Amino acid sequence: MKEETGKEVKESSTYPVADSTNKTESFIISSNPSGVFISRGKEDALVTKNMVVGESVYGEKRISVEEGETKIEYRAWNPFRSKLAAAILGGVDQIHIKPGAKVMYLGAASGTTVSHVSDIVGPEGLVYAVEFSHRSGRDLLNVAKKRTNIIPIIEDARHPHKYRMLVGMVDVIFADVAQPDQTRIVALNAHNFLKNGGHFVISIKANCIDSTAAPEAVFASEVKKMSSENMKPQEQLTLEPYERDHAVVVGVYSLLPDIMVRSTWAQLFRMESVWQRSPLKRVLKE
Amino acid sequence: VEESVLNIGKFNSMVSLAAFFPFKSAQAALENMNAISEGKRGFLLSVVHADLKLFLETNLPLSGKKKPVLGVSDAKIGAALQEEFTISIQTGGVVAEIGRGLRLHFHSLVKGLTGQAASKAQLGLGHSYSRAKVKFNVNRVDNMIIQSIALLDQLDKDINTFSMRVREWYGYHFPELIKIVSDNSMYCRLAQLIGNRKELSEESLESLEEVVMDHAKAQAILDASRSSMGMDISPIDLINIERFSDRVVSLAAYRLELQEYLRSKMSQVAPNLAALIGEVVGARLISHAGSLTNLAKYPASTVQILGAEKALFRALKTRGNTPKYGLIFHSTFIGRAAAKNKGRISRYLANKCTIASRIDCFSVVFTEVPTSVFGDKLRGQVEERLSFYETGEVPRKNVDVMKEAVKEATGVAAEIKRKLEKKEKKRKKREKKLQELEENGDANGDDEVENGEADTPVVKKKKKQAAEEMEVQAEENGAEETPGKKKKKRKAEEVQEEEAAVTDNGAEDTPAKKKKKKKTEAAEAEEEAPETPVTEKKKKKKKKEAEN
Repeated sequence: MKEETGKEVKESSTYPVADSTNKTESFIISSNPSGVFISRGKEDALVTKNMVVGESVYGEKRISVEEGETKIEYRAWNPFRSKLAAAILGGVDQIHIKPGAKVMYLGAASGTTVSHVSDIVGPEGLVYAVEFSHRSGRDLLNVAKKRTNIIPIIEDARHPHKYRMLVGMVDVIFADVAQPDQTRIVALNAHNFLKNGGHFVISIKANCIDSTAAPEAVFASEVKKMSSENMKPQEQLTLEPYERDHAVVVGVYSLLPDIMVRSTWAQLFRMESVWQRSPLKRVLKE
Repeated sequence: VEESVLNIGKFNSMVSLAAFFPFKSAQAALENMNAISEGKRGFLLSVVHADLKLFLETNLPLSGKKKPVLGVSDAKIGAALQEEFTISIQTGGVVAEIGRGLRLHFHSLVKGLTGQAASKAQLGLGHSYSRAKVKFNVNRVDNMIIQSIALLDQLDKDINTFSMRVREWYGYHFPELIKIVSDNSMYCRLAQLIGNRKELSEESLESLEEVVMDHAKAQAILDASRSSMGMDISPIDLINIERFSDRVVSLAAYRLELQEYLRSKMSQVAPNLAALIGEVVGARLISHAGSLTNLAKYPASTVQILGAEKALFRALKTRGNTPKYGLIFHSTFIGRAAAKNKGRISRYLANKCTIASRIDCFSVVFTEVPTSVFGDKLRGQVEERLSFYETGEVPRKNVDVMKEAVKEATGVAAEIKRKLEKKEKKRKKREKKLQELEENGDANGDDEVENGEADTPVVKKKKKQAAEEMEVQAEENGAEETPGKKKKKRKAEEVQEEEAAVTDNGAEDTPAKKKKKKKTEAAEAEEEAPETPVTEKKKKKKKKEAEN
């Protein structure tokens, strides 16, 4: 597996658990955020801890592991079906989705990757799954029935004001919408719901944005679009062995004060002096 | 700014909670949410929900010297509010910032609402909202049409395959029958009837004739059976063949039933389209487009070549001639036109089809009842054009035809509405009797709103309701839906009434209503169950009104 070679794997805690039948072990890799595991054995697989023990969401393999007294079940995560898994296996530095996080998932489809995200964030976290298609929405509702940390929203992600009653501030936005204006969609949602300093993970399909241009050009133009919307891209990687002409961009969202905002605030509160000071520079430096 | 937003302390110094109004119930929350998302299209007439209005009225110091500036995050609501109240509204910019801060610190600002409770509330509301959205589509019965037409095609294939199998199988025993009888279903029935060919005799000639409907053929079968060169067959094998042919015959019968079902569904969902080009072709168009709405959105040129995409794109790529007709070809008109007029008629027909599908899809909002008046008129127009190509007689002007159609349509709609109202009254009377016998407790708390609306039985404003509950509400208030749906819902309600009060009257109801029983969707029944208390309350209210 790619992420093993040449990476500083800080194994903060290892659970070398041996299952007698097929000799699988699993241990946490902390370069990836906690919550994602790797199971070793006959075939290595990326797994997440199953929140609903005993159930497979889309027919994936489940691995049961004894840990002293308790049995923990993990579900295999297929990188060919899920862009997020492909990104993790491709070696992305940080996906920012960790236990207890609030995640907004745009383009949830039938809930296959959403279920894994829900496993990672655990019962304290929340996943707001937005999906517009009604057929997929039905499957998503079924998944959400079993997992109470998924909030299904069958609504067009282009109009976040329509579901603003359902969503609080989130820590991470994950977008897999496959629309030509997806950067704008993510930006709209981020302006409304993503907290300051929150992160976004966007999966870009080059064909979808512009099928005539070269994929690298498409990715570059998307990154440029992001920067103009207060979204600062930090990482980009292609999902090469798993998907063709796909890329994942990870970045941070931080607001630069708008000039209009500044002046209005100043009028309202007469705090013009604030702007001369360094907070602005601080934000820019990050 | 954003730093102060991040820090709760600083934020508190800038922003203080003036008023907080929790929704009374999950239903109220859903209504409000639908008001925001659907806006004027929904059941509620405006973006500003009554709850929101009330909240603002009570908490904003409207009169007085200091006129406040209300910051609204949604531009649409802002505009609507500006019309309602006279205060100045501000949207965008600062308001968005403050909005973000509010959202972040929501649970610390409002006392008694923890993060956990908030997320639970969001979960519940999200589920009900999404379910309403998805269910809304499930109730759009064009899904049924798409599924039935697909099933019809599949059934045809399967019946054919099975009939071939029966032929082969029984042909071992009686090969001549294959040549004499060519029809599949007839063959299967004969196989059932004849059984062992050795037992055929003069008496069975009559029953043979019944099946084949031809005396000569029946005689031929009889003769062939005597001099057949097929091998003998044991009774057990015969039983198996008979069982199988039984199945095939019942499948064929089911197929006929399914066709009837499709016909009735089409007349409910898209009567104009069905009147114009026939049920099967109409259903195929709908299924190819994906839904009735999709079909309505297509331009007429697309409808014309729907189904001939392969030929179309091939012609476009090789700069050849594009196809003239797709699925539309199977309507009767194209066949009747002369070869050089086929293209013209196809284009004309596609235009009329588009009109019909748009009427079906969108006008149900304004006319409560779907009628096929327009479809018939359009069909008349196509016929006239056909005859124009043949004989040269000039067809009527489109304007005149449409004027007639509109007049007729309103007349027919009024008729049907009157009938429905009569039924409503009868039903209410019956319910009154039931309730009197029931002697349930009075629980009429928050039905004031519905009460007001119930007074006007002929409520013309029928908008597509987003929530199932509101659909039921609207019905109870006398607003009309398709008669079929209404009967369905009434049936479901009647079923619950029975459960609630088993009386003689209840038993009287069911036989009458059973005739109108259509397939109640399981989802609908599910939804009806939790709504029983709500609907029961409303019925009681209505009864009280009827008494007053």
